[in-house]
Amino acid sequence: MRRLFKLPPQIVRLVLLTIGIVTVYCTARFFLTPPTFAQYGWFRGDALAEIAAREPVHAGKKACDECHSEEYQKVAKFEHKTVSCEACHGVGKPHADNPDTPIAKLAFSRCVRCHEADPSRPKWLKQINSRNHYTGQRCTECHIPHQPNEVP
Amino acid sequence: MKQQFTRRNLLTTLTGVLAGLATWPVARTAKAAVQKFFVSTQAPGGYDPTKHKWLMAIDVDRCIGCGLCVEACKKENNVPEGESYFRTWIERYTITKPKAGSGETRGEVFVDSPNGGIHGFPPNTIPKDQILKSFFVPKLCNLCQHSPCSQVCPVGATFDTPDGAVLVDPKYCIGCGFCVQACPYGCRFLNPITKTAEKCSLCYHRITRGLLPACVEVCPGQARIFGDLKNLSPDDPIQRFFESNKAQSLKPHLGTGPRVLYAELDKEVR
Repeated sequence: MRRLFKLPPQIVRLVLLTIGIVTVYCTARFFLTPPTFAQYGWFRGDALAEIAAREPVHAGKKACDECHSEEYQKVAKFEHKTVSCEACHGVGKPHADNPDTPIAKLAFSRCVRCHEADPSRPKWLKQINSRNHYTGQRCTECHIPHQPNEVP
Repeated sequence: MKQQFTRRNLLTTLTGVLAGLATWPVARTAKAAVQKFFVSTQAPGGYDPTKHKWLMAIDVDRCIGCGLCVEACKKENNVPEGESYFRTWIERYTITKPKAGSGETRGEVFVDSPNGGIHGFPPNTIPKDQILKSFFVPKLCNLCQHSPCSQVCPVGATFDTPDGAVLVDPKYCIGCGFCVQACPYGCRFLNPITKTAEKCSLCYHRITRGLLPACVEVCPGQARIFGDLKNLSPDDPIQRFFESNKAQSLKPHLGTGPRVLYAELDKEVR
């Protein structure tokens, strides 16, 4: 100890200052590092859980199947089998949570959104030109959306 | 001068050590109290990120440009309205025919994405007889294995998760926008309401509950295929995708290792 004090005073101050800074850093690090830090990597592990905690808005096909399994199976057999319920009917979570909440009525725009002719669209897709394809009639007069191959 | 070994010295040292040891539990309690302010966890139970590896695959030839994915993504993730805020969007590529006698394979390449394609696409302004070919390309976060966005983040708010997603921790993000510049795919934006960086999270709140991401859920042509490489079922869509397609990624020369794979990708797509 006595030898330390024989050092020039400016050096002693420098050493004490360094020790002080390191102590403050270590204390702050000890208190402020989140407990799940470095659980999976160089980030807060809790962040994953927080991001995952948000509630979904789209209910998913399985939720529709719970009540409307008849329609669900009908769709699965025909051309629209790849189309999810919520693709046409819109967000379904409010309706799935509370069946009294009505689901939106479908408009003409829902059909032509996919089926209006466009040279950019792939050839496998059935396309119509709504200006000359039975203009003035409703799509459902000739087509059943759940069974597009059938004629009513 | 040599220090003497006396009883007084011994007792002083021992007291010091004991006092030091006693501060440890006190410090632990204090730490727990401090961290109560930072920690809040209500995640869906039973999800272990180390047991999954998610992957998105896109079959360009199946995309019909309806824009339902963009609409669903905005609703699902509460993405602000506006021309520049998208977690996923669709681009329309139009390649014109080469001029007669020019000796070129193709003419010019036009790319447009009116409002990200959220309301579908208006008719092409280029006349049909001049188009060599035209197609839609869905775009989203490429889930890079070596993500430039997480490398540049100065506060470590962006990170690569063990299950293959790249996420933003909104509590850490300071909204500096470095990541927006770093992303070579243009997949990030600054949310004007929260002032933090935002990007496709692979619908992390959905996949942890066993649901599909919103864009995959609503895609009518099954252009988007989503799967878990660590838990493949025998006829998993992602398995079928690899069996029947030659997959490639966007901008492979950048070495970002994208985990979003594209089938039927034209060389003009960037």
